[in-house]
Amino acid sequence: MDTLNLILATTFAPFAAFVLAILFLMRQPRLAQVVVIAGGTLSLAGAVSLLSAGPVEPLRYLWFTSGDIQLRFGFLLDGLSLMFGVAVALITLCVMVYSLGYMGHDPSKTRYFAMLALFEWAMLSFVYAVDLMQTFIFWELVGLASFFLIGFWYEKPSATAAAKKAFLMTRVGDVGLFIGVLMVLQVAGHFDVPGLLATEGGLVAQATPAVLTTITLLIFVGIVGKSAQFPLHTWLPDAMEGPTPVSALLHSATMVAAGVYLMARLHPLFMGSETTLGIILIVASMTALLAATMAMVATDIKRVLAYSSISQLGFMLLGLAAGSLFAGVFHLITHALFKALLFLCSGLFIHHLETNDMAQIGRGGGRRMRFATAGLVVGGAALAGIPPLGGFFSKEEIFAALGHDGVTLFSVVALLAAFLTAYYTFRMIFLVTRPQQVEAVDVHGDHDRAEPLSMALPVVLLTVGAAVAGFWGGDIARGLGIEAGHHSLAAMAPALAVVALGVLVAWLDFGRQTATRTGFIARMPALERLFTNGWYVDAFYDAVIVRITMLAATILYAAESRLLDANFDRLGFGVLGLGSGTRRLQNGWVQFYGGWAVVLVGLAAAYFGMSD
Amino acid sequence: MTLEGYLTLSLMLFCIGVFAVLSQRNLIAVLIGVELMMNAASLNVMAFNRFSVTDPTTGQIFVLIIIGLAAAEVAIFLSIIVNLYRTRRTIDAEQLTELQG
Repeated sequence: MDTLNLILATTFAPFAAFVLAILFLMRQPRLAQVVVIAGGTLSLAGAVSLLSAGPVEPLRYLWFTSGDIQLRFGFLLDGLSLMFGVAVALITLCVMVYSLGYMGHDPSKTRYFAMLALFEWAMLSFVYAVDLMQTFIFWELVGLASFFLIGFWYEKPSATAAAKKAFLMTRVGDVGLFIGVLMVLQVAGHFDVPGLLATEGGLVAQATPAVLTTITLLIFVGIVGKSAQFPLHTWLPDAMEGPTPVSALLHSATMVAAGVYLMARLHPLFMGSETTLGIILIVASMTALLAATMAMVATDIKRVLAYSSISQLGFMLLGLAAGSLFAGVFHLITHALFKALLFLCSGLFIHHLETNDMAQIGRGGGRRMRFATAGLVVGGAALAGIPPLGGFFSKEEIFAALGHDGVTLFSVVALLAAFLTAYYTFRMIFLVTRPQQVEAVDVHGDHDRAEPLSMALPVVLLTVGAAVAGFWGGDIARGLGIEAGHHSLAAMAPALAVVALGVLVAWLDFGRQTATRTGFIARMPALERLFTNGWYVDAFYDAVIVRITMLAATILYAAESRLLDANFDRLGFGVLGLGSGTRRLQNGWVQFYGGWAVVLVGLAAAYFGMSD
Repeated sequence: MTLEGYLTLSLMLFCIGVFAVLSQRNLIAVLIGVELMMNAASLNVMAFNRFSVTDPTTGQIFVLIIIGLAAAEVAIFLSIIVNLYRTRRTIDAEQLTELQG
């Protein structure tokens, strides 16, 4: 098959599955599952064969012309998009198969699977997009799919509130992104991504430094929204209201990574503005640290993972902003694997033990679930950065990129965040696997059914992936066309030391038999309160922004209903009254008309008779 | 008799006719009022014909046409009234107000 047919099959297979499922298979959920998973499989096969075929020239097709502006749809098949496309397709397929078990008893399964397919179509089209406007369109579609999936259990008020919050907060960022995209058009006159990135005649050459800084900052605003960076990060923990496989797919591995991917895609533009890079470094390091502190006090396993996702997305942006495309993309891909794995494992616990609380999972006998526990340990170790698992190498690249100009504040902050990452990850692992006592009997029914094949298989696959992903560094670097450097043991020492320290502290607090099972942070109640309340960011939003918006809305509502609406009502009722008054004249009584005719003719005759 | 005498009689007939048309509820009485007005007009024409026109045939032609017209009109008016009575069971002008706004 030639490249065009292959890429069309890859992107449109999930779309076809979505259309089929949502239009025709609402009452046949089993068939819908088969159709959607077939679409996902086809996509993965297409993405893998595209990757093995290697990068090709971009494909561009004219959509429409408006004045001098040409809008094109097409596919940009370079190393970055091919690799991330495979990651997206792989994790989506894993999650689809996993959902067979997880969502097995849900009455609206078809809607769920259809939305997964919609998401995959939008995400893959976003990844392969060649035109900045196409990127933006599918970026928004991805947000739409996310909205549907967070609010999937729409009977739950908390789920609909979370969906609304996610949609509105990412919209705040998207406004910035849209203005940025339009400014690109204004400066460059086209949306073609390879053209914009070209070293000669690209946007960096065309735009003045100030304009380039503005554009990149506006695009970064969109990234902040989508990738849940400070201060727009608060939607992501709430998004955990959705089904757990959705959290695994959208809110950790792929969708939130879209922001990081966009920055990687437009990396040369960002590299053109020192100011933007500085701001990104500040925001990303703050996010990495803040989210890590929130993760270390959360008790809900999904929220720990959600905060950890925010923190790791901060790490990726740190790597990219420090100038290393490779570090960011490498961590993006390893993180996608081990974070999807961690979420799927947490889903196994939640599904079987019916609780999100880590301590309860531990007491309920979480460690008896072999696949989930193995996945949790491997994924957690990869997240913490234990060699030789996935996360170690990619995080190492980020530290190397940050330390390029000597020890800076950012590398210190990143090391601190890495320490906290190791701490909260192993806190989670120890709470689940080493509780003080375990209930002797499994009270949650047949234990053999706890991990059905459909759910165990993706977990095993991703466990292997998370374990070996660290060794793909060389391939990923080659795919990006970059020479991967080798790091000496001395350069790795600080990172290894903080990780070891983090694991040790977690062991002292939660792991050993005599441990108190309260974190060291509990000795500082003020800090613990601060972390538990998420640094009061949400409280600030509620107290200031929400209140101001509500006040403005109330005033505008009053103005609308009392001023505009009321006056238009008055106008309408006035005309109506006039009409019904006049209507009385025409009473259908012939003699009434005749009498008036005589009177009027008489008056006219008298008038003309007198004027003579 | 002078011209004024005829004209006064004609005016009185016309006013009686108008009054009948406007005041009577029964459509037959309204028809009678219309006939009175027509005859007043005929009388008017004949009076002018007698006193102030050189060729007397002119007015007679007018009056003959009016009489013919009145006969035709009565035929139509009566048939309408009969049909109204058949369908509505009334010929009261005050109750036939279906064309009101």
